[in-house]
Amino acid sequence: MSIDLTLVGQFIVFITMLLLMKKMLYVPLNDAMEARTQKIEAGLAAADAGLEAKAKADADAALQLDAAKSKAQEIVSAAERRAAEVKEEAVIKARLEAVAIVDAGKEELASEVSRAKQDLREEVAGIALQAAEKIIGVELDAKRHASLINASISKGFDAA
Amino acid sequence: MAAEEHSTGIAEHLQYWTYSFQQNLPVDERNPFMQIHIDTMLVTGFVACLILGFSAWLKGRIVEGAPTGAQNAVESIVGFVNDTVKDNFPVHNPLVAPLALTIFVFIFLCNFFDILPAYLLGHIAEGLGAPAFRPVPTNDLNLPVAMALVVFALVLYYEFKLKPIHFMKDLLLQPFASLLLDSKNPVVKFLGVLLIPLNLTLKLIEELAKPLSLSFRLFGNMFAGEVIFLLIASLLLVDNMHDLMSFGGIVSEIMGLLVGLAWSFFHMFIGLLQAFIFMILTVVYLSIAHQPVEH
Repeated sequence: MSIDLTLVGQFIVFITMLLLMKKMLYVPLNDAMEARTQKIEAGLAAADAGLEAKAKADADAALQLDAAKSKAQEIVSAAERRAAEVKEEAVIKARLEAVAIVDAGKEELASEVSRAKQDLREEVAGIALQAAEKIIGVELDAKRHASLINASISKGFDAA
Repeated sequence: MAAEEHSTGIAEHLQYWTYSFQQNLPVDERNPFMQIHIDTMLVTGFVACLILGFSAWLKGRIVEGAPTGAQNAVESIVGFVNDTVKDNFPVHNPLVAPLALTIFVFIFLCNFFDILPAYLLGHIAEGLGAPAFRPVPTNDLNLPVAMALVVFALVLYYEFKLKPIHFMKDLLLQPFASLLLDSKNPVVKFLGVLLIPLNLTLKLIEELAKPLSLSFRLFGNMFAGEVIFLLIASLLLVDNMHDLMSFGGIVSEIMGLLVGLAWSFFHMFIGLLQAFIFMILTVVYLSIAHQPVEH
């Protein structure tokens, strides 16, 4: 156990090693570690930002979905209302048409009845004239007696 | 008789391979400082070359991505040292962490040579013509003292650089004179001035105790460990084949082997612990030097 020139040698060895280790090992390795740490921190921050953006996008999407749903509901309601209106209009129109058809039918029936009555009156008048000619044996003036016969028939029809 | 022979053998193995720069003078007249321990220089040079070679090899392979293999292992050590420095050091100093890393790695690798069989390197060196060989450089007081003096010089440098007035006041006026000089009584003030040399002496002792304790702790532990290794190894030494095959010889061999193995594991732990203690005390001393002055 003695202190001698080995001390100087050890000084040189230790200081050289300190300087070279700092330059060759510690600094490059520490730089790489710090760069990695920063990269990881940046990645984590980006991930956090991504999560926030996703949450925001989800919220926006939910809002838009709600808006779209309410709009669709409005459209459906309007369509239903319109359909009801169209249906009601069609029913009214059909009813009106039915009434018109019935009225037209009634008018036609009335005219037909009137025409038939007229024809029947004329035939009955003719038959009455022929019958009267045979009974009395003389030829009757059709024009002169026809109005008389028709008036009688009309009275009979009206009484019927 | 055998014990005396063994103790002589142990003493022989505690000799350094020494070269004197005063070869022309008789041994008695030589200055003991003017010599060098070739074994210590060789081993520390080898360890330094090993570390620096590895550093140069690793430098070209460092990646910023996920580390693997050697980089991963070294990053664990660097991370551990960085954490230790961060926990104990109040400000940023780019020299402290590399210094702590160098001390830790260098001491640990030097201590690691103690794992080799006690007489192995000595016998190999003797076979190659060396008069003696001590394989563990931390057993040589010169290495711990050199490192401790570097730390001490750095502590003094930062004390003077960061708080020169406070340090000088601390050096000259603590612990006694400060109170006395604050007094208004001129006699007490004069007494305070008289006490300045005493303060200086006490403070110098206090400061010098730091490198002394730092170096002697490492040296003492490793030296004691080597002596115990040699003592355990001496259990295995027998004079002849008859002794070896005797009941006592066999028991001695088995005991030596088991105790030696147990001590090896324990000493590996001691080597690691001493490296850590030297490193942490270095950081603490430098941290104290960087502490801001309290008013």
